[in-house]
Amino acid sequence: MSRMRSPGTPTSGLVTSRRTLLRSGLTLGALGMLGACGEDSKPMPKLGAGEDVWRRFEGTNINFISENTAPTAAIAANLAPFEKLTGIKVNIVNLELSALVQRVALDMASGDAQYQVIYADPYQVLAPYSKGLADLREFIDKDGYPQIEGGLDDFIDTQLKAAGKFADDGPVYALPYDCPTMIWQYRADLFKKYREPMEQDLGFDPTPGAERTWDEYYEIARWFNDNADEVSYGTGQQAKQHDSLMCDFSNLLWSYGGDYFENGQELGLLGVQDPGACQLGSDEAVQAAALYDRLLKVAHPASGTWDWDGVGAALRAGEIAMCPNWHEFAASNETAMPGKVDYAPLPKGPARTSDHYGGCGIGIANNAKGAVRGAAWLFVNWATSPEVQLSNLKSKAGGGTPTRTSVYDNAEVKKSEQRPTKLPNMLTGPAIRTAWETDNIGLRPKIPMWNACDTAIFTGLSKMIAGQNGPEATMQDITERIDGIVERGWVA
Amino acid sequence: MSTALRADPTEPQTKQGPEPAQRRFRLTFPATLMAPGVSLLALLSIIPFITLIVMSFSRVRLLGGLQLDWVGLDNWTRVLQDVDMWVSWWRTAVYLVGTLGLEMVLGVGIALLLHRVVRGRGLMLSLVLLPMFVAPVIVGLLGRYLTDSTFGLYSWALAKLGYEGDILGGSTSAMTAVILMDVWEWTPLIAMITLAGLSGVNPSVLEAASLDGAGYWSTLRHVVFPSITGILLVAFLIRAMDAVRYYDIITVTTNGGPADATKTVPIRLFETAFRFFDFGYAAAIGLMMLVVTIFISKGFVAVLQRKG
Repeated sequence: MSRMRSPGTPTSGLVTSRRTLLRSGLTLGALGMLGACGEDSKPMPKLGAGEDVWRRFEGTNINFISENTAPTAAIAANLAPFEKLTGIKVNIVNLELSALVQRVALDMASGDAQYQVIYADPYQVLAPYSKGLADLREFIDKDGYPQIEGGLDDFIDTQLKAAGKFADDGPVYALPYDCPTMIWQYRADLFKKYREPMEQDLGFDPTPGAERTWDEYYEIARWFNDNADEVSYGTGQQAKQHDSLMCDFSNLLWSYGGDYFENGQELGLLGVQDPGACQLGSDEAVQAAALYDRLLKVAHPASGTWDWDGVGAALRAGEIAMCPNWHEFAASNETAMPGKVDYAPLPKGPARTSDHYGGCGIGIANNAKGAVRGAAWLFVNWATSPEVQLSNLKSKAGGGTPTRTSVYDNAEVKKSEQRPTKLPNMLTGPAIRTAWETDNIGLRPKIPMWNACDTAIFTGLSKMIAGQNGPEATMQDITERIDGIVERGWVA
Repeated sequence: MSTALRADPTEPQTKQGPEPAQRRFRLTFPATLMAPGVSLLALLSIIPFITLIVMSFSRVRLLGGLQLDWVGLDNWTRVLQDVDMWVSWWRTAVYLVGTLGLEMVLGVGIALLLHRVVRGRGLMLSLVLLPMFVAPVIVGLLGRYLTDSTFGLYSWALAKLGYEGDILGGSTSAMTAVILMDVWEWTPLIAMITLAGLSGVNPSVLEAASLDGAGYWSTLRHVVFPSITGILLVAFLIRAMDAVRYYDIITVTTNGGPADATKTVPIRLFETAFRFFDFGYAAAIGLMMLVVTIFISKGFVAVLQRKG
């Protein structure tokens, strides 16, 4: 524009100053952005002689992306001790799991690491994106970093493998952070009240436990439907067309001796890239599906719209007498119905009792470089330490249950397994200890294409429940779909 | 800025001006001002569009930066042979017809009623328009709570009337529920557009019809509707294009279930892209949706043009 004016016009100086101002602003902005980038790319500081390893990364900011789970709520409410210990500031981003998976995938694709600490769901993050996570052995037992209190052996072994490793027993991509496990949750007051008439009518002791069978569970549910006024229905199931439906059905599948793929337990512990042919066409799987279908016919009619939250709310609202659900709902149950809900391992099938494990770990983005990488390790180490896990158990903001044996051995924690208790999630202690035994733990396949397989499973089951397909046709349909998904393979 | 693109003003110019060939490359002053914005918009639209097309012929890798492996027509063959995809198109069509049909009938009806109201029309119009200003995701959440069988008001009311099932748990009832939620939110838009059309009907024509002895229904049929057909088609077009890509309410309430009963194409697209991270196949689905939307809009535009 200035070319249109003749040199020396009174306004030319103003134009120049505006332009200069604009340039200055842009330059300052660019410098600011570069400065911000520099914050993330500070080099790894060297540890001075006698310096506290926990203070090595003082002044660093890191981001932790997590599913909105109970342990993260507890940690978010109590970050001050970590910041005081390390001088590191932690920003926590809490998301619903599917939103978390999207952000993590796109963050990894960017080649940058906006989120340095990642809640690594074994099936949706660890298996598909293990290459995007750092092998934590670069910190474990290495000089310059604080070591894991009690060592890796302090973590419950099945959980360390299931939540922390993929395909190879060597690399550790995540440390076990939470451990929700499906157990039998029931109205102890109603079982106590109706035990005798129920036993007379049904011909067996209805007391919940691993010695009950799924057929007996079905009979108990029907009995409550017909005889108890306190609840609308005997059982509720998390049978919404959702991940929860697969979780719910899997308990029956495994207890009947069926599985999604061959070597299911091994595949659940460590995982593989290519799981081979789907095994859902087996007689055991069809029998499990048939019983699940029957169970849904006597369950609360809203079961088809409930995920784990829905069925948990229904139990607390007095709609149902029992349900299989994640053990971390115990604290909410105790708040809503103090002393009325008790816990047991899930019923057994012809093969075994099986309790679905859904724990996750936390790991570090492999793209994180320099000081933030080290700072991320300090946080992962701290957040999974026995002290923090005990503190989480006591937290009013959340909780969860520990992933370390030393915490379960703690006298205060052991005492809390009986009422009255200040750690209500520990009321599930005896049930989950049984559930986590190697022969009882239920592990879904840890494969990179699990999300697509999971969707095929819960969609097929949803159609079965809606009466569109019988159990055999459902299992056959799901098998064909999963084989197609596995055949297409996975590229990360 | 425009002068910078012109020939050097210090050079002598003929009275006839520059040659025609030179004139073609000149930008007018307003065009020059708009050029950066228009170029940016073009880049923002064209680059993603071309990328989407390329992705639809590729397998997309995310780790270590975006990489595209050429797979030829694989994704397109798959999308055309995928039976589930066609079933989703059928459900989308049901959703489209259900929402549009009800919204048009109710919207026009409400507009006709409001048009006759003289006192308090502004207040009534405000009340009628309120649902339109609620975010669709909130409409979904409200719907979910109201139909919850444990504490939902609608479930309770229906149970009193003898309905024993769960609203979002049955295939037919779930689809009906999500259609009705959409209708609740967007009928006011149709009503507002129709009301604007009714205000534009020539009063002298209405007066003439009245003098000729035409009754209310006859006037509506032979005078009013022909006058507002164009504007109704525009309303229809806007909602039709919206309904094809509608996502929010369904994902919040049923997420495509039960038994895939509400899994429309947008839900399947989201699932493919952001749950399975199969971006190549998702790109093919997205482009298919684009083609369908273009066909629908072309159809409406053709009808509009025929109506003059």
